[in-house]
Amino acid sequence: MTTPEDIRRTLEAALPGARVSVEDTTGGGDHFEVEVAAAAFAGKTLVEQHQLVYGALGTLMPRIHALSLRTTAA
Amino acid sequence: MDDVLQEIDNEVRNNKVVVYMKGTPAFPMCGFSAATVQVLREIGVPFKAIDILADPEKRDAIKSYSNWPTIPQVYVGGKFIGGCDIVREMHARGELAPLLRAAVQS
Repeated sequence: MTTPEDIRRTLEAALPGARVSVEDTTGGGDHFEVEVAAAAFAGKTLVEQHQLVYGALGTLMPRIHALSLRTTAA
Repeated sequence: MDDVLQEIDNEVRNNKVVVYMKGTPAFPMCGFSAATVQVLREIGVPFKAIDILADPEKRDAIKSYSNWPTIPQVYVGGKFIGGCDIVREMHARGELAPLLRAAVQS
């Protein structure tokens, strides 16, 4: 099971200075809502921003069934 | 695998709006796919829907085609524009309808 803390730590490590909020929407450890504001997103399209997040989640990603993602450039 | 990627490439290029989804527009098998179809219907443009649950090989191939790990995936005018969250966000900003209408009319 993945915890919101796992996701937050992973994203903050990969995107230095990012502000990350994570909610486990069902309590089951596999459905999450994630908001990330990061300087690294500046000048990138939404697709590129989301790809950065998916890439950062790496090995956590296959264990997550549903991820709702909102990204903004900090 | 290369054949499937080629097939995807053809689908994406030969249809102005394509959604790869779980289930069909009438019977979506996932809330994210259902929400994406709902947005496309609200805007009212014709789109081609491809049920990746009916084709396990395509389900894997579409993820490498776009370098995107989740489904649904929406393509407009041959270009990947995003999954459910991005489609909803673009729609909320009023950016999606003009993009879709321009692609359909081109």
